[in-house]
Amino acid sequence: MNLEVTPKSSWQGQLDLCFGYQNGTTQILSSRAQAPLKLQRPFYPEGNAICHSVILHTAGGIVGGDRLLLNIQLEPHAQALITTPAATKVYRSNQVEAQQSVHIQVAESACLEWLPQEAIIFNQAYYRQDLRVDLVEGASWLGWEITRFGRSARGEQFLAGEWRSHTEVWQGDHPLWIDRQWLPGSAATVQSLHGLADYPVVGTFAWVGQSVPPDFVQQARQAWMGDSAEVGVTRLTKGLVCRYRGHSTTAARKWFTTVWQHIRQDYLNRDRCIPRVW
Amino acid sequence: MNDDSALLRLFQLTSPALPVGAYSYSEGLEYLVHQGQLPNAAALQEWLHDELMLGAIRMDAAVMVRAYQAIQAQDWETVLRWNRWLSATREAEELRLQNWQMGRSLLRLLEGLTPDPALPQSFPPSLIETLLKEGCNFAIAYAVIATSWQITGFVTLLGYLHSWAANQISAGIKLIPLGQTAGQQLLLDLNPSVHQAALQIWDLPDDSLESCSWGLTLAAMGHETQYSRLFRS
Repeated sequence: MNLEVTPKSSWQGQLDLCFGYQNGTTQILSSRAQAPLKLQRPFYPEGNAICHSVILHTAGGIVGGDRLLLNIQLEPHAQALITTPAATKVYRSNQVEAQQSVHIQVAESACLEWLPQEAIIFNQAYYRQDLRVDLVEGASWLGWEITRFGRSARGEQFLAGEWRSHTEVWQGDHPLWIDRQWLPGSAATVQSLHGLADYPVVGTFAWVGQSVPPDFVQQARQAWMGDSAEVGVTRLTKGLVCRYRGHSTTAARKWFTTVWQHIRQDYLNRDRCIPRVW
Repeated sequence: MNDDSALLRLFQLTSPALPVGAYSYSEGLEYLVHQGQLPNAAALQEWLHDELMLGAIRMDAAVMVRAYQAIQAQDWETVLRWNRWLSATREAEELRLQNWQMGRSLLRLLEGLTPDPALPQSFPPSLIETLLKEGCNFAIAYAVIATSWQITGFVTLLGYLHSWAANQISAGIKLIPLGQTAGQQLLLDLNPSVHQAALQIWDLPDDSLESCSWGLTLAAMGHETQYSRLFRS
């Protein structure tokens, strides 16, 4: 793989975002965006304390050679929810890797809900994403990642290409959750029980930053109402992880949304609220 | 390895009689068999092969190698760092607790044995205390004992993977079930995969510490809720 040569059509996008909290309001203190990344004007559907933001990718998809860099910072007590308006497409490339790197820092008593819409990884796409979250003591982060491999509606499978997704959540120099997923595209990995087991969709929901009682794990398991998929829930030393492997991004999101809303009500002192762009 | 006595110690370390309780865990196999996903020896062989080439054991063994090298370099902070790192990758609670239990048992065993005067103590007692306090993964404890028994690195890696495979096959024999001869045939047939995996793991860069572990994670999560179980959770 030659990473030296970047196709002319590729993007070097960047978004730097900082949220602060003052007088009961979470505000965007600074925002700097470089195409194709763009930030929509924030909105406050549940009062001033929680700032909802939508990150746009204006080019319609990610191609080989793209480098996207996002830095998101939450100052003490800031409360933010970030999502995207549509699915992210990662197109096939001639073995040239596209990369997205997200670095999130969450300060004391601040909380970020990171809820991008699903990604569609086309057959023969080469994609690497890194998500690093740094929490201080008392901060929390929840997020999900829902991924469809191949445009399965038209029978496409992920038979070639490579997907790497490294998610790490740290508290100081102590790792709380390290999830380094790797899926080399091939007929064998599409079929393997380790890989996709002939399902096109995988999803992960995680909540990290505080310990979770066993009862809540039970509640998250019971929230799954679907069928024809494999799901599981477990406890981290400080957090909770739900995994989905199945056919439907909608079913995965529906389940994760239920668990997320339970967390909101039981632990974050927030009401149920669904972002209006969905 | 020229040292016959080191070879004898390797046999002891890889023996199923090593009292760490490995036999009481199935690492998801019990759930997979229950779900009908591993109906026979061929399916188990495919599962174990994929685990070696793509799965969590590959990452686990690569961290064991890193801990081994850090102990040799007397870099205790790096040993602790890799132990924490490995704990954070074990999201399924039952896999995390299994590894801590087996790691603790192995370190306790080492503490209980009278050291061979011919083998200098290779690590400070405070390292063991900290590892026990934070939860010591089996891979890290394995590296501690292998270095102190002066077993060479690559042979330690082969031994680690081989005893893992043998233990998984023992679980498969009980669960599927398989005959003893079929189990031994499977272990023999798996040798090329073990060797190939060891060669890859030995040279794996840090950035490639990654795995395709949906199957294992879902199986371990499922096993935590399985109603009737032979194996520990």
